[in-house]
Amino acid sequence: MADSDISDNEPTTRTLLRRVLDTEAPRTPRRRQSTRAGVQRTPLGTPFSMRLRSQTKTTAGRQPHRARSIGRLAHIQTRGQLKEQTPRTLLENILLTAPESSMVMPESAVKPVPAPQVVQFSRRESSPGSLELQLPELNAPTTLAPGRLTSGRRKKRLRLSEFQQGMDQGLPLSQGPVTEPPGNTGASSLSSSLNLTFATPLLPQSVQRPGLARRPPTRRAVDVGIFLQDLQDTSVATALPGDRTPVATLPTDTVLEDTQPFSQPLIGRSPSVHHSLPYPSLSAERTVSRRTRSSGPGLQNNSPGKPAQLLAGKAEEVDALAMGFPNTSSSTSGEDGVEPLLGGVGEEVEERMEESMSLSEVKEAAGAQASARAEEPEAHTEVAEAEGSWGAIEEKEPEGSSRDKDTEARPELASSTPEFPRARQLEFLEPAPPTSTAVGLFRQQFIPAPSLSSEPLEPLSARLPTRVQTARPRLRQDSYKMGLSHYAKLFSFYAKMPMEKKALEMVEKCLDKYFQRLCDDLDVFAAHAGRKTVRLEDLELLMRRQGLVTDRVSLHVLVEQHLPLEYRQLLIPCAFSGNTVFPAQ
Amino acid sequence: MEAEKEGAEEQQGLFYRQRLKAAVHYTVGCLCEEVASDKEVQLSRQTIAAISEVTFRQCESFAKDLEMFARHAKRSTINTEDVKLLARRSNSLLKYITEKSEEFNVERKTKKKKKLEDENKDSLEPAEAGGVGSEN
Repeated sequence: MADSDISDNEPTTRTLLRRVLDTEAPRTPRRRQSTRAGVQRTPLGTPFSMRLRSQTKTTAGRQPHRARSIGRLAHIQTRGQLKEQTPRTLLENILLTAPESSMVMPESAVKPVPAPQVVQFSRRESSPGSLELQLPELNAPTTLAPGRLTSGRRKKRLRLSEFQQGMDQGLPLSQGPVTEPPGNTGASSLSSSLNLTFATPLLPQSVQRPGLARRPPTRRAVDVGIFLQDLQDTSVATALPGDRTPVATLPTDTVLEDTQPFSQPLIGRSPSVHHSLPYPSLSAERTVSRRTRSSGPGLQNNSPGKPAQLLAGKAEEVDALAMGFPNTSSSTSGEDGVEPLLGGVGEEVEERMEESMSLSEVKEAAGAQASARAEEPEAHTEVAEAEGSWGAIEEKEPEGSSRDKDTEARPELASSTPEFPRARQLEFLEPAPPTSTAVGLFRQQFIPAPSLSSEPLEPLSARLPTRVQTARPRLRQDSYKMGLSHYAKLFSFYAKMPMEKKALEMVEKCLDKYFQRLCDDLDVFAAHAGRKTVRLEDLELLMRRQGLVTDRVSLHVLVEQHLPLEYRQLLIPCAFSGNTVFPAQ
Repeated sequence: MEAEKEGAEEQQGLFYRQRLKAAVHYTVGCLCEEVASDKEVQLSRQTIAAISEVTFRQCESFAKDLEMFARHAKRSTINTEDVKLLARRSNSLLKYITEKSEEFNVERKTKKKKKLEDENKDSLEPAEAGGVGSEN
């Protein structure tokens, strides 16, 4: 019961009373009895003391003190039961009832404990200092977090060193605040401060995580590299005809975005190149990766001459390529988007033309053709896509008839463009049969770098424009079919069954007639109403004739059902705040 | 009471409809006999009935379309323009209608001149009715 050693330096009432009692303890003659009773009552006192101590997260260092306190409590309780009205008993009662640690002071109690765990003697010395340090912290926890962090940082060093010491010695002190989440409002603010100190290192960790960082898209660079590898490999490709059809449904937006930057070098060349080629060498297998993409779809429909030889083994695309090639050279879509594409295609075509005729060069020729084709179809696809995106809305325009054809061509092209350029190259490689144009030089130029090859093509574009104009109407027809083949592919895709080529051709014919009639009707309806521009009313009348719009189903209902919100907002007038109606009628 | 009235109206409408159908069937039958005798081919009754049914439904569609066209042109009366718009599909029919309409217009002009001279309004109505009948 010797309590000479008062480990806790808390200037609490309890500690003071304890000191008083301890100093007076040896004087009472009833100690012996109390000791016995104290043994019996230790279980009663221990939970109380344990509870009190647990609040401050006593450590092993505290345990001896706890034992002493338990002994004291038992001692006090025994005395209290004797019901002596002495000042001693009063003090004992106070000790029993008063909380061991107050909300205000626990930090001071806890802080000195964890701080110098090893050195207990230094507690007394450091406690006043720690108390001082903690005072600002006491006020801080309720304030902003950065305040907490800053205050925590001051103590961070102490804590960490103590933590390390504690870890070395196996003390579990530091683990407590670390494991505890920062949600201990009820606990001492010291513990929360401890949590704060350990919270700060977590922030840099999250920043350091690479997964959260967004990587910039590096697709193009990879494509070029792969393309160059393919060029150098000169491996015989296995055609992938059937794979393209489902890809046709891919959105063309992405493709066009990729191809647009490359269309610039193509601008100058396309027109002249096209016309210069008497025989569109369809066998071009290798082209600039991007060009091949664009050219692939375009060429499909364009070259009628060579197709048979070169594209025999390929899918419809190849056939279309052969068909469309000579036409591509004459492609004359007046749209701006077409010309750059045409230029690009023309470049490759020219290159083919320039080079000697050789079988080995067929690949390049095919690629060049593909690029040439791609020009037109790309141009058309761009237009078509832009139009197609507007769908029925754009049909209003009387020029829509021609544009629809372009749109048909474009979606086809666009659809093919997202397809793997390699696959296309491979396809072109297959029709290696003799080609009229020599592509050897072309290949040599292309292998080093696609950018370089594009440069020589540009100056040739100057010749093309004059030639292109003459053949434009023919190209437009082909662009119709190019666009229609896109829909035919969609048809075959949704049919979920293999389809004959003849069947697809019939589908194309039907689609062609359908679209022509559609646009004629729109034109006539507009004229019937005494207007020159096709409007929504004309289209609504058409849909009513088609049976889509009935007395039960109105146009607005269809718009709501099928169009996305952006278009719906444009079509259906809606009232907004301030009595404003958009779109204004 | 109202249901009965509606039922009676419907019956009357149906009855009227049946009469119309019968009239159409009769006319189609006559035309088919002429064609059969002309081509020296025989047509069965089911065929004539099918043709008359199709004709009747097509007439319904025509009527709706004509009304839509007139409304589209912001008019309340069906015009020859609406009829021409309706018949644009078949070129021969369109030609025929345009020719007839021109004839009718010519007749109208001459008649108008006469009427202006005579200032006789009664002749206009039968002329118009005749013109409409010839057009249709």
